Amino acid sequence: MSDVATILKLDTAKVRGGNGLDAIVDEVDEILESAFETTKSATEAFFESYDRNPNPKALAAWLANRCWREIDYVLLLNEQIRRYGLAYNRRHITLLAKQSFQEAEHYEALGKLIEALGGEVPTSVPAIAAPWSKFLWDSMDRHPLGAIAAWYASETSATGAFEPLFAGVERHGFKDVAKAYRQIEIDEKFHTSLGRQVLSTYVKTDEDRAEILRAMRGMRDIAWTSLTPEAVAKSLNS
Amino acid sequence: MSQTLLQGQAESAEPESRDADGRLLVRVLEVQREADGVVSIVLSSNDGSALPAWSPGAHIDLILPDGLVRQYSLCGLPEDRARWRIGVLLEPAGRGGSSYIHRHVRAGDALQAAGPRNNFALGDSEEYLFIAGGIGITPILPMVRHVAAARRRWKLLYGGRTRGSMAFLDELSELHGDVQILPQDQHGHPDLLGFLGAYRPGVTVHCCGPGAMIDAVEAACRTWPASALRRERFAASAKPLGEDDEAFEVELARSGSRIKVPGDRGLLDVLEEAGCKIDNSCRAGICGTCVVRVLAGIPQHNDDILDDEQRASGTLILPCVSRCKSKLLVLDL
Repeated sequence: MSDVATILKLDTAKVRGGNGLDAIVDEVDEILESAFETTKSATEAFFESYDRNPNPKALAAWLANRCWREIDYVLLLNEQIRRYGLAYNRRHITLLAKQSFQEAEHYEALGKLIEALGGEVPTSVPAIAAPWSKFLWDSMDRHPLGAIAAWYASETSATGAFEPLFAGVERHGFKDVAKAYRQIEIDEKFHTSLGRQVLSTYVKTDEDRAEILRAMRGMRDIAWTSLTPEAVAKSLNS
Repeated sequence: MSQTLLQGQAESAEPESRDADGRLLVRVLEVQREADGVVSIVLSSNDGSALPAWSPGAHIDLILPDGLVRQYSLCGLPEDRARWRIGVLLEPAGRGGSSYIHRHVRAGDALQAAGPRNNFALGDSEEYLFIAGGIGITPILPMVRHVAAARRRWKLLYGGRTRGSMAFLDELSELHGDVQILPQDQHGHPDLLGFLGAYRPGVTVHCCGPGAMIDAVEAACRTWPASALRRERFAASAKPLGEDDEAFEVELARSGSRIKVPGDRGLLDVLEEAGCKIDNSCRAGICGTCVVRVLAGIPQHNDDILDDEQRASGTLILPCVSRCKSKLLVLDL
């Protein structure tokens, strides 16, 4: 990221768009902050555990969970566009499709890293990621904007992982992992900004807002749970 | 390039007294109350020369003494080259531009302006449906006048909070056309579907107003051809490259080299081609990753992520979507 971008840290929650979230903006921001913190803590705990017992397969398993999220987003975003996209303005269709493409690139990049670490790239939902995936897809079935609210919370929570992740992988010399995540970090700024703008633009009613909060709270409670050292150890033993 | 009813009257680049950054010194001739919270400001050139030509839908940038830059649609008579008129709504929750104008700008004051530019040009149609919300009447008013004078079929739906808050009602009544004045406290939300009717070839909608109203019009016209709806939002929104974009030069301060940015190419594309490595992701003005420091020149902000203060500072730009209002932009690259 450029020096000015790093210094400024433009707040993607302030992206211009509609005013559909105005009535719940405090709740939304509180959920996002909490999602960020819980994922940060879970990731710190994982890398502290890795420091004590550096097993590349554990890192591969941790990445496999993240890797599944990338490909699940691809499937979800395309379904989102298929079901609801023609009700959006064309620019948002393009940007959601662009996000989908970038998620596919992340799946490919993380897949290479997992293989290099001796792990397996997931081609179906791993048990560790199943609750997260189910909640995401159920949110889409409940409300046209439910899945977007859920991935907006999940993507924001994922940004909480960057700082401990970069520190952890650099301590252990995984330069390729750091490099891949530098790009993912950049792209996730776009994705969170887009999520916020889409929700602000198309949320209209109190019922919409209630569904948005439900999806975001649900995702906040799930997103971090598969990133802990305990969850990874369980997945390695299963 | 799309056809417009006003071909040949595009904003001109004729001789005028502009400074190196393309700013024009203008003088306030008149400040007049038009409605609750709305004043009109009439401007002339400072030296009495003709003002640049403009066409309905055009706007100018007003550069206020405290450095704030605000866009206002021109709502006077295009044929009157001695005067520009703008309408300004007082927005107490805004960042201070309208508040400054309402509180401090008086007849005789000197201000700086840039433009005019037209991103909301009147299309060439057989039938016009105009929809204005609140202060969104300002670009619509000269459009309606022009279409009425050209004896085209038209009608106008004009909504506002209350009748007292709606500007230029007297001028609209003089047009003797199908003008529906619909203050919300008396009529509720307007029946857009009823006003628009079914799509028929030769009809074009021109719409300006708050985001919620534009969204509603977009939804009502969802099945219409995209070219049948032209709209301008109050809030800036990422804008794709278009026919109105002008070429400018960009200087890379660290090397001193200068590169031309043609009207049909984006600034980021040109910078990358020149070898600048700039991290980016969305290329749509919403992630902020490509932000670059501006050392000189006036950015034309088309992004959705810089806040009003950052925009007004003139020191930052997102080259993926934004451009330059002055002839030269100097970047910290």
